[in-house]
Amino acid sequence: MLSFWHNFVDTIFVLIASKGLSLQLSSHFFGDLLDSIIVDVASECHRIARLGLDRNLEEEEEEMRLSAQARLRVADPSNSSEANGKYIVDIFGQNHPSVASEIFECMNCGRSVMAGKFAPHLEKCMGKGRKARLKVTRSSTAAQNRNSRGSPASAYSPYSNSTSSNRLSNGTSSVAGEEYSNGAFEDP
Amino acid sequence: MYDDIYRRGSINRPPTPDAEDDQIQEKQLTFQEIIDIKLIESGEKERLKELLRERLIECGWRDEMKALCRAFAQKKGRDNVTLDDLVQLLTPKGRASVPDSVKAELLQRIRSFLASAAI
Repeated sequence: MLSFWHNFVDTIFVLIASKGLSLQLSSHFFGDLLDSIIVDVASECHRIARLGLDRNLEEEEEEMRLSAQARLRVADPSNSSEANGKYIVDIFGQNHPSVASEIFECMNCGRSVMAGKFAPHLEKCMGKGRKARLKVTRSSTAAQNRNSRGSPASAYSPYSNSTSSNRLSNGTSSVAGEEYSNGAFEDP
Repeated sequence: MYDDIYRRGSINRPPTPDAEDDQIQEKQLTFQEIIDIKLIESGEKERLKELLRERLIECGWRDEMKALCRAFAQKKGRDNVTLDDLVQLLTPKGRASVPDSVKAELLQRIRSFLASAAI
């Protein structure tokens, strides 16, 4: 009985060592694993089909087809490429000029402005850039110079007393008026 | 559940090719059963199945199979589809379309296990 077992075990080891059997066995087990995965996929698809869960997928497939078509159109070398000029072709096959050409009103200054030139316009318009700020200070100092030259009796010059004293000595003052108040002045 | 499938072949599918010699086949069947038990008990069978499933998803095989099923269901009508139909549909195409690299990787893993289990 024991020798039978020894022979049996020896046979088993010999067979295992044989590469051919190893390959055959592993193929067999691989097939088993694959079959079981196939059953899993089939059962999931069966469920989806019977429950009607794949209706949305048909729409997605249609969209994927359209995007694949669009991609082909872009990849097609006969289409105009970016190197061809100022026009860029997007995946829907539409042409775009490199500078946006739509015209609208600037909400700050009210001027008509082209969309592609809006950013530089805003820099000048809202006083963000260096040149814009210099322009503003220059125009304000020019206004101040104009004011001081034209009217010497302005509020900006606190030291001009000569003209006011002239007026006082020439015109009738309230002090002079009270000296005549014997009865000729009536209180208002 | 899967052991039943091995022994009964209850799901209708195209038969796997038989070994020529009956005597050797009988020894192999015994072998297969022993190794099968070892695979399951060690948990290696589950790991191998997960690895195979992951590789088949990565390479798009699963999506192909699902597309085949969808097309079949559209043609035959959703409510007329049976699980058997789909298994019969997928088995030949599924076996044929596994990428060689995936098959090689799994075969190598299984053979390593066989070598280690024999000792």
